[in-house]
Amino acid sequence: MIEGKFRTVAGTNPLLPGPRTLAVPAAVNSSKGLIIQFLEWFGDLGIFFWQVMLAAVTPPFEFRELFRQLDEIGSKSLPLVALAGAATGVVLSMEARYSLTRFGAKSLLPAAIVFSVIHETGPIITGLVVSGRVGAGIGAELASMKVTEQIDAIEASAVNPYRLLAATRILACILMLPLLTLAADLSGLVMGWVAQALVEPLSFHQFINSGFKGADFNDFLPPTFKTAVFGLIIGLIACFQGMRTQGGAAGVGRAATSSVVLSSLFVILADVVLVKFILIFFP
Amino acid sequence: MPRAARLGVFIVATLAILVAGIFIIGSKQYLFSSTYQLKAQFDNVEGLDAGGDVRVGGVHTGTVRNIVLPHKPGEKVTVVMDLGKSTHEIIKQDSVVTIETEGLLGNQYLAISFGSAGSADVRDGDIIASQPPLEMSDLFQKTSDILDSSQQAIKNATRATANLDSISAKINGGQGTVGALVNDKQLYSNLEQTSSAMRDTMVQAQAGVTDFQENMEAMKHNFFLRGYYKSRGYEDSAELARDEIERLPQGTPIKEFTFPAKQLFGKQDSAKLKNQKSLNAGGEFLANNQFGFAVVVASTGMEGDTQKDLVLTEARAMVVREYLVENFGFDDSQLKTLGMGKQTGTNSDADWGTVQIFIYPAGTEIPPNKQTQAGVSSTAASDQPVQASAPATPKSQ
Repeated sequence: MIEGKFRTVAGTNPLLPGPRTLAVPAAVNSSKGLIIQFLEWFGDLGIFFWQVMLAAVTPPFEFRELFRQLDEIGSKSLPLVALAGAATGVVLSMEARYSLTRFGAKSLLPAAIVFSVIHETGPIITGLVVSGRVGAGIGAELASMKVTEQIDAIEASAVNPYRLLAATRILACILMLPLLTLAADLSGLVMGWVAQALVEPLSFHQFINSGFKGADFNDFLPPTFKTAVFGLIIGLIACFQGMRTQGGAAGVGRAATSSVVLSSLFVILADVVLVKFILIFFP
Repeated sequence: MPRAARLGVFIVATLAILVAGIFIIGSKQYLFSSTYQLKAQFDNVEGLDAGGDVRVGGVHTGTVRNIVLPHKPGEKVTVVMDLGKSTHEIIKQDSVVTIETEGLLGNQYLAISFGSAGSADVRDGDIIASQPPLEMSDLFQKTSDILDSSQQAIKNATRATANLDSISAKINGGQGTVGALVNDKQLYSNLEQTSSAMRDTMVQAQAGVTDFQENMEAMKHNFFLRGYYKSRGYEDSAELARDEIERLPQGTPIKEFTFPAKQLFGKQDSAKLKNQKSLNAGGEFLANNQFGFAVVVASTGMEGDTQKDLVLTEARAMVVREYLVENFGFDDSQLKTLGMGKQTGTNSDADWGTVQIFIYPAGTEIPPNKQTQAGVSSTAASDQPVQASAPATPKSQ
């Protein structure tokens, strides 16, 4: 019924996300059960993902918008990610020193920092920071476009909004997350070394040498590139939550909030699966 | 900064981090340097993993490529390792691979010993010798055995200490002989007194002996005893054999004097000279001529006791020697004596015997001195460093 009305407004796109969302359950149809709403949200997400995929692989490609988003998501997130990584490195260095000294294994400190940063801390911190910054940004931007009917206008000008708005942002997230992770790794290692060297002199060369002792490509590449999955999750959920928003300024706020909350949550949940996946396939 | 440039810098910088990471890890894995492969076989690799370190002389110079399980029971596990080219000069065919543990609980790594200089180079893919790893469980087993035996030893030591303790307690308490020795001051002072008394006694005894000797000397010249010594012809029996040689020397004498004993001595059984002037011919010859040495040889006839006659001939030879030494000037160490005892045949004048003086030229060997005790003389003779003379040599050897 609402979908039908939506269709008459949008005209071209019968499968544009509907108003029944998990984030705004009270707005519509409170009679439906929570589980049904949850399943419907997943169904809508799947349909949305499929639409974006179709739009992304068919020309014309929106390169200008893609570059704009790469810059927005990638280079503009760099300071934040680097800072978060650096802070993590310092914290790790201090915490690991404390516990390793208790076990008399202080010489393993560089290895503890290096492995912890490149295995897990770098990727997950990047994922969470980007989901906070970019998820909120995309969610709020698309939601405001939605509630001000700009998306409808784009559609009316015969441009596929999935291709122009969603696909570019999701692809930019997928491409930029691993690179941001590398930046977070580097700043984490450097600051981890600084924190260590302040307590006990140690050259950076020696720190890297003993830290990477016994390191394997499987310790480095799979954890770094698993963040592409985080990027997909962040971009997809933020775009989905943004483009299905309803109801003015309040809807924009809800979309921004739900984008951040859901993308962070799914990043962490996906990480559980991905870590297991990496352990199995990249021993 | 334009957007494109900013994006470009970001992408290039992060990709540079990626490349750096790949190279750091790759260099640890020896992926980007030229390597060669070696293999080693073990019964048990003790948890060594692919990617583990290989160290040559403690330096990380390679990595474990993979570990291959055997296809059949009874074969060994093969460890394939990549080694940097730099180790090719050091690792030879006789290098030995061992599995070592970093610290007590650390990672396993392979250690390869240096080869010997003369050994052949290794080639890519060679299998080199390995030493089975020291298994921690074996170590613990051995340690436990050692602990058991040392426990036993400590028990024994404890028992011994207890015994010692009781012994020393007894000694301390004055029980038993040692206890008495240790604890009884009386005993010690007694002992000290005894030893000092003994020292005094010894001094006195020495003085007594000296006195006795003087007394004896005096007695010899005493009116009552003088006659005995006088008729015997000599005073001191201890000096009878002082210059006596064992036997006659080899070689022919340059001069020979023979005196019948009856002319020289007062009695048949005495060594007292009666007509000593008749010896002067011999004495003058000795004083006026160069010679090696001379021997006074005395002998008796067949009458009388053999032992007594031997002493008598020795005494006569000594008495004659003393007369010659006192009355004629020559080196008295060159004049020896020899008592022959009973002799048959050559004796003249109804068995009184003879006294002969044999004079030998320079260069004749002097036979060794006769010992005072007859039993020792034969062994002592063969011990002498004097050149052995012909007849004696085969006998003594």
